[in-house]
Amino acid sequence: MSSDNGEPIGERPTQEVSMNINGEPVTEAVEPRLKLSDFLRNYVGLNGVRVGCEHGVCGACTVSVDGDLVKSCMMYAVQTDSAEILTVEGLSEDGSLHPVQEAFHEAHALQCGFCTSGFVMSTYDLLKKEPAPSREQAKEHLSSNICRCTGYQNIYEAVDRAAEKMGGAEDDTAAPEVGGDD
Amino acid sequence: MSRSDAPAASDAAEDADEEGFVGKGLNRVEDHRILTGRAEYVHDIAPENSQSMGLLRATHAHADIVDIDTSAAEAHPDCALVLTGEDIAAEYNPMPCGLNGISEWALAKDTVHFVGEPVALVVAADRYVVEDLIDLIDVEYETKEAVVDPIDARQDETVLHEELGTNVPDSENMHFGEVEQAFEQADNVVENQYSWGRISGVPLETAGAVAEYDDETDSFEIDCNIQLHTLVDDTIYEPLGYDPDDVALNVPPDVGGSYGTKIAIHRYCTLAAIASQQLGGTPVKYVEDRIENLQGGDMHSSDREYLFRLAFDDDGTIRGIDVNFTDDFGAYPRYPVNQALKPLTNVTNAYHIDHLRYNYELVLTNKTSQTAYRGFGVPQHLYALEMAVDEAARELGMDPYEFRQHNLIQPEQMPYKLPTKNMYDSGDFPAALTRIKELVQEEEQVEDGLLDPDIVEQRREEGKYRGVSYTVHVEPGVSGADWTDRQRSDRDSLSDREMDDVEELPEHLRCELLDDGRLLVYLAADSSGQGHQTIVKQLMSDELGLLPTDIDVDYLDSVEAPTEYGSAASRMAVMLSGAADGLADEFIANLEQLAAEHWDVAESDVTYQDGSVERADGEARLSLVDLAGLDTERDADEQLTRAAYDYQHPVYENEEYEEAFTNKYPVYPTAAFAANAPIVEVDIRTGEVEILKFYTLRDCGTQLNPTIVEGQAHGGIAQGIGAALMEEFAYDDSGQPQAVTLFDYLLPSTKNVPEIEMEHTETPSPFTATGAKGTGEGGMIDGPPAITTAINRALEPFDVVADQVPATPDRIREWLRESDAS
Repeated sequence: MSSDNGEPIGERPTQEVSMNINGEPVTEAVEPRLKLSDFLRNYVGLNGVRVGCEHGVCGACTVSVDGDLVKSCMMYAVQTDSAEILTVEGLSEDGSLHPVQEAFHEAHALQCGFCTSGFVMSTYDLLKKEPAPSREQAKEHLSSNICRCTGYQNIYEAVDRAAEKMGGAEDDTAAPEVGGDD
Repeated sequence: MSRSDAPAASDAAEDADEEGFVGKGLNRVEDHRILTGRAEYVHDIAPENSQSMGLLRATHAHADIVDIDTSAAEAHPDCALVLTGEDIAAEYNPMPCGLNGISEWALAKDTVHFVGEPVALVVAADRYVVEDLIDLIDVEYETKEAVVDPIDARQDETVLHEELGTNVPDSENMHFGEVEQAFEQADNVVENQYSWGRISGVPLETAGAVAEYDDETDSFEIDCNIQLHTLVDDTIYEPLGYDPDDVALNVPPDVGGSYGTKIAIHRYCTLAAIASQQLGGTPVKYVEDRIENLQGGDMHSSDREYLFRLAFDDDGTIRGIDVNFTDDFGAYPRYPVNQALKPLTNVTNAYHIDHLRYNYELVLTNKTSQTAYRGFGVPQHLYALEMAVDEAARELGMDPYEFRQHNLIQPEQMPYKLPTKNMYDSGDFPAALTRIKELVQEEEQVEDGLLDPDIVEQRREEGKYRGVSYTVHVEPGVSGADWTDRQRSDRDSLSDREMDDVEELPEHLRCELLDDGRLLVYLAADSSGQGHQTIVKQLMSDELGLLPTDIDVDYLDSVEAPTEYGSAASRMAVMLSGAADGLADEFIANLEQLAAEHWDVAESDVTYQDGSVERADGEARLSLVDLAGLDTERDADEQLTRAAYDYQHPVYENEEYEEAFTNKYPVYPTAAFAANAPIVEVDIRTGEVEILKFYTLRDCGTQLNPTIVEGQAHGGIAQGIGAALMEEFAYDDSGQPQAVTLFDYLLPSTKNVPEIEMEHTETPSPFTATGAKGTGEGGMIDGPPAITTAINRALEPFDVVADQVPATPDRIREWLRESDAS
């Protein structure tokens, strides 16, 4: 039982929740008022969940809950008891990139990066439902997320590339890596 | 591994070929950590045992604080600290302002001046408890008349700050050329008012600070996402009452956007530092929430009312412009007061105009104070100018394309000195305007194109009016430091100044060789998505004949770095080009000295190339690993495998700029430019504007990384679309903000940003190390005037001029209702 910084919550009411996050079981006692976004960031350490508005507009905190895209600032952690949750950290392992992440990199579909987790999750969801989306379908699906840097052009390009990669098509248009710095 | 050692199969080595890495669209090194969710933004920094800070904010626009009762909050078992403005004033100093003679406190003292102004701070372990504590504080206010309308504010019936005695704390009426004569002699004059609504950058990451006071050293460490941390650190150490060296500002490598806005987050850094000190050194973290950010986050920007006159002859020649405007700065005249002056750098845009008046007033009202935003006051000016140009063309019955083409500065006039003493370095504006029109005609004025005359006619019958306009715009780059305090200077004595009086700030870069032969380069500037680490790798790879993978790039905090300028003002491409050039020279000279001393030969007998130093006789060679090893044997203060360089300013030595420098007129020595042609469709029944496609031809000189350049242009244009059509911080008559969520302050989404068709030309700057010109603000500068002129074209049958932005559906409907033609 702990708060943002690990200190005991004390007398305030808590409720135990158990769920599966990125393939790992998690059980915590949390205040009923705790938002899912804050739970994922502060209790589970998944900082890839970005908090941009806390009122359901910007989409930076988008995660998948039981296969549905959810703005995690609009849900309480206690509502996800026994759920399966996927965040951007769960898309790939050991520092490798999921094809959607690769596509965002190659297409320069991120600048400041604060919206990127949300866009990657939304794109992942789109391609799961529609493996070869049209430009209009991509625009419609991604209209739930705001990017303030890229003007979306390269994000569309990333969606196309990711679709191609996940369809197993050869992709020889990647720019060379600078690499090394992380 | 140096480039010469690279295996032939290496992608990067192949890509470098003879020309090097600069100019290549290398993928960014910043991406991987961001994409995997591992990037550490300031919101993610949470030291052990850190406490969370929250702010109670004013609910009135203008009110005296009669009493603050904090007892209930203090009695809460989880409350660590409560402070009010009185507590701050008792021990600390006010925050510096943009003008002399006014004090602003980090927490309001006695009087609140805008809704959202912080009144008290609370600290607790848990952010949710912090919100509980804020609710427990009771403030008694006595409300005062709110000053809301900037035009009325000038009457000084209610004055915001008694120490200033006026709501117009700064103004200047500047004449260049023979403007009165030009207006008298011109065949025609158009005059109109244009209004630019209050907008800002609204980065997706809000402001944040994590401060820790160290009792033993009596100093502060502050992690924060402030922009220009080496330049504006005075806004934090001064209110704390400490020396610069005792307050280290550390900006994480990843900042979630700023666009100028985060230059002014010093209030938060200061308060978190004070709270940490009051708690004996417990780290204190503050993260602004979105409502705080929109309502009172010190980050609104330009809000202008123009009265613009343009004098022109019957043949379409512009004779002069008369620019008058007020800029509503909100409650305090903060740092970006010089946003009012930057338009002097491109005051005639791409036109040759010899005579002009530039007359501005800064006005204070009971609204959130201004900060900087992409373009720094220039988008507003270009919008007003291009509206006036459209009106002049319309009055003559001349095609606005022909009118603009007739007045453009010709390539043979480059470098071109403006009446306001700044210079455009290079560019062919007429060719750009010609090309963009050609491109649109080829692509769209054809069968089934967006401008196919049959389709245009058919759409009109459905109430949808299409229009396209062709405009060309200058994006001034680089700036300088000396002019920025013009408004705090004695303006009458400026003409006596000489170049020795001009104090510029450099761009600092340093490097050190690591034991394994890798090079570590340090940026003093902070970044917020521009890809500076990638750019530095490209530049230094070419300078030293290394591979980008041989180089790491890290950042300096405000104590480690010298006072320098940093990333703003479309500056970094130029400044990093010069800094990398100078740093490499220093570093190579040091390595050659190290090798020469080792071999006991003259320095002229050794040569550095591609990662090693060779003796002239060809008998010996030292690799970077060898050199790093040799250097460890030397005394620490004599080590030679490191270097530092301060790149001064690209035109400091250029006599043509002397008059601008000494008179503190803004100096922006690079002129990137863009020719735009958005195709818009206005639904006259709903007033909605859809941008069907945005054509743009852009030139920022040599492109260091074309992929990054293109991304900057895309993003700038998207922000320009928001400014032109959607975004506005409106206020009601009592000074209550009307846009406090992202449901009210509308950011462009995939639904609003069209396909952008972009072409590039490269006209190198003659003044910069690589030929690069500043870019990054471009689309935000040239997007709004391009879109609003296109709306004018679409609504030409109704004689409508988009004289107010954002051109929202309700405004467009109002124009149409009022127009004679409808």
